[in-house]
Amino acid sequence: MGRILFVVPPLAGHVYPAVGIAGELTDRGHEVAIAGHASVVRPLVPAPLRLVELPEEITSGERAEIEEKSRRQRGTGSFKFLWEDFLLPLGTAMARDLEPVVDDFRPDIVVVDQQAVGGALLARRRRLRWVTLATTSAEFDNPYGVMAAVGQWVDDRLREFQLASGVPAEEAGRGDLRFSDLLTLVCSVTELLRMPDAVAALPPGTVFIGSGAGLRQPLADFPWSWLDPARAKVLVSLGTVTRETGGRFLRVAAEALAGMTGQVQTIIVAPPGIVDDLAAAAPADVLVRDKVPQLELMGHLSAVVCHAGNNTVCEALSQGVPLVVAPVRDDQPMIAEQVTRAGAGLRVRFGLVNAAGVAAAVASVLDDPAYRSAARRLRDDFASAGGVAAGAAHIEKLLP
Amino acid sequence: MTIQDTLRSADPTLDALEARVLGEIAEMLRDVIGEEYVVDMEITMDTSFNEDLELESIEFVTLADRMRVTYGDQVDFVGFLAEMDVDRVINMRVGEVVHFIADSLRAGAKGA
Repeated sequence: MGRILFVVPPLAGHVYPAVGIAGELTDRGHEVAIAGHASVVRPLVPAPLRLVELPEEITSGERAEIEEKSRRQRGTGSFKFLWEDFLLPLGTAMARDLEPVVDDFRPDIVVVDQQAVGGALLARRRRLRWVTLATTSAEFDNPYGVMAAVGQWVDDRLREFQLASGVPAEEAGRGDLRFSDLLTLVCSVTELLRMPDAVAALPPGTVFIGSGAGLRQPLADFPWSWLDPARAKVLVSLGTVTRETGGRFLRVAAEALAGMTGQVQTIIVAPPGIVDDLAAAAPADVLVRDKVPQLELMGHLSAVVCHAGNNTVCEALSQGVPLVVAPVRDDQPMIAEQVTRAGAGLRVRFGLVNAAGVAAAVASVLDDPAYRSAARRLRDDFASAGGVAAGAAHIEKLLP
Repeated sequence: MTIQDTLRSADPTLDALEARVLGEIAEMLRDVIGEEYVVDMEITMDTSFNEDLELESIEFVTLADRMRVTYGDQVDFVGFLAEMDVDRVINMRVGEVVHFIADSLRAGAKGA
């Protein structure tokens, strides 16, 4: 049996797939731990899994400041912000704080989130076997497009990051911290990539496992009897996107769907105070919940309206559910592009779309069977990719 | 957009070719971004791709394709972007692209 350490950044969307694969490895009898920042990660790690807490380098005040700044980031500028203001400083702190964790846990393999580059740096410095876990496929689909300078800038910063931390130049030049040369697991399917260029360009050792959904915290309760078998069900969720940012969009989407009550029942994931009045006005048509058991709900849905977060998109497509996507920033525009390119959904503008725009997009996705057919084809691709069980099996093969 | 911005779009410093190119680029951008976005937004020489238009890097690919259709090989927009550093890319304004295209078209006409 092996000792496997997962390293995750304090970003919820990155923690779920790590927990999914870690849960699978625990079931197979391995000694597994997750290293991360308790303030974000603790609520996402179910009891049987061990969490090794990293010091909270960033105070909640500083985190609020970064989040506030990040809310204003759009377009190509968001790449630079993400790395310069968040991921690289985080990487420096994590590479340092993981030293004693590694000494204590003595992992056979470290599974490092693609954006937790501090974990990869430490593993390289200490000559540990490490695997990359990419919880989004954006980096494998040429996210920088013709903006080569942006991609080059990220490459250069990452090389400097290695050199500054004592990795010899020759070694730093050999490999990028975002891609393990041993194994890189990607939570997606190759069928979503720009074919065939992107598939041909994949780094060696890259394996697409499909959806990273697996072990989760105990399910949120849900009023299953509320669902009306005679109507199509649509879920509106912005995942873990900062809630204040999403308020306008949730409101617009809820208004759009509340106007389609003849055919549609709507479930909206929203904190209190944003759309409750719409649910109160039409209690048989609109349901607002703070949390939903998304995986279990997915099988009942005819469409999902979301921010193109990779986890939600993969969960929807794994069950053949088409989407309306409203990407906000970072990898989301790329994931939204994958959905529309595959024909499995439509894109709307997060910051500017109005209720009529959302209503038109949802009506198209519900009424035109082409979207559902495309989503169903992808469901088969996700099924063959194997999910967290496949991810766990690939990691097991690397154990001594 | 303010009245000042709208006035600036009829910038007297633009020659006929540049004014035409600005109109063409604005049309391509409306097309790439989607109508619901820019219905009442004037695209001027001063419009920023990142801050004002929130253009994503993948959308630049579509923009480059549209330019190839309109201008052919005379205008190498991908090459133009490839030579920029990251801050220039992020801060790029429509005017820079208009000047680049107008210059390329003039050079092409001379060469022909």
